Amino acid sequence: MLLSFVQWIQLTDFFTALRGSAYVYPIVLSLHMVGISLFGGMILVTDLRLLGWTMRKRSIADVVNQLRVPKRWGLLLTVTCGFLMFGSKAEEYYYNAFFRTKLILLALVLVSEFVFYRQVYADPAALDQAPTVPGNAKLAAAISLLLWTSIACCGRGIGYIEPPLDKIHAQIRVLYETALTASRGPHSLKGQDHQDVASAN
Amino acid sequence: MLLLQINSIADALNSSEWVFPIAECFHIAAFAWSIGLIAAVDYRLLGFGIQHSSPSEVLRDTAPWTLLGLAVVLLSGPLLFLSDARMYLHNPSFVFKMYALAAAILFNYTIHRHVAKSDSSSQAVRVVTAIVSLVLWVSVVFGGLFIAFA
Repeated sequence: MLLSFVQWIQLTDFFTALRGSAYVYPIVLSLHMVGISLFGGMILVTDLRLLGWTMRKRSIADVVNQLRVPKRWGLLLTVTCGFLMFGSKAEEYYYNAFFRTKLILLALVLVSEFVFYRQVYADPAALDQAPTVPGNAKLAAAISLLLWTSIACCGRGIGYIEPPLDKIHAQIRVLYETALTASRGPHSLKGQDHQDVASAN
Repeated sequence: MLLLQINSIADALNSSEWVFPIAECFHIAAFAWSIGLIAAVDYRLLGFGIQHSSPSEVLRDTAPWTLLGLAVVLLSGPLLFLSDARMYLHNPSFVFKMYALAAAILFNYTIHRHVAKSDSSSQAVRVVTAIVSLVLWVSVVFGGLFIAFA
């Protein structure tokens, strides 16, 4: 079902046009990279502040709250361009191991966001009241750094694998035809029996 | 002689299929790191982002980390280049990227630094500086990406 969805999406007029254009793909990829710089930099500042490694004179609330808006713009640019690239070659991405790993890591980002939301991100001002940065805030920052760096590396990895779509399609065709003949099997046998009987008469 | 040396470096770099991808990962992570931090200063100059701090404070807080990121970029970059030096030298996108990079680094440590450090500079000067800085760094990223498509 997921496979037919990715096949459908890349065959829509919009993504077919995108795939056919020589310039759009590299431009979208470049904008994806620009988004990564803008978003990644903001994530880095936030995480370094939570770890207590920079901007120690600034309150955590200041750094986290004020970078929220530029961070969201960077993420929006990155995700939009990422989705455009996925859509234009959805089936290839579907089979790409690095792409699958990347999606799992992105899901883990959501999980960690959910786990740490109440203790860390919802009320950064509360973190400032503790004499030192609380342990779970530091843990959240370390996990965030690790996950986002891995996601960037997996993203680069996608380009190194080109799933052999022709081979996969051929295999699927063989499987499909085997299944088809197997399901037709008894009927054709019956027909043959009938013919044999008819010829014997 | 120089060519021979370049060839032997390329052979060493190409001897393992992991050297190039790993160097590339470091390159990407570090450029996102350093350009993102420079963007934090630019955002402040444009009037959003960390507004409770002055531009000079944002610069002072981020500068060491920016430099660290740039150092990793400038160590991993030449490794990528030396793996196939002649191809890169003939690649128009690569040549463009090198000029843009030289301009961006020069601008960052002269005018950009000067404007960000003096908290008395006018808003117009700040906006122009931030835009030039962002355009230069974005050009570097575009130049890098288009190497693969040139």
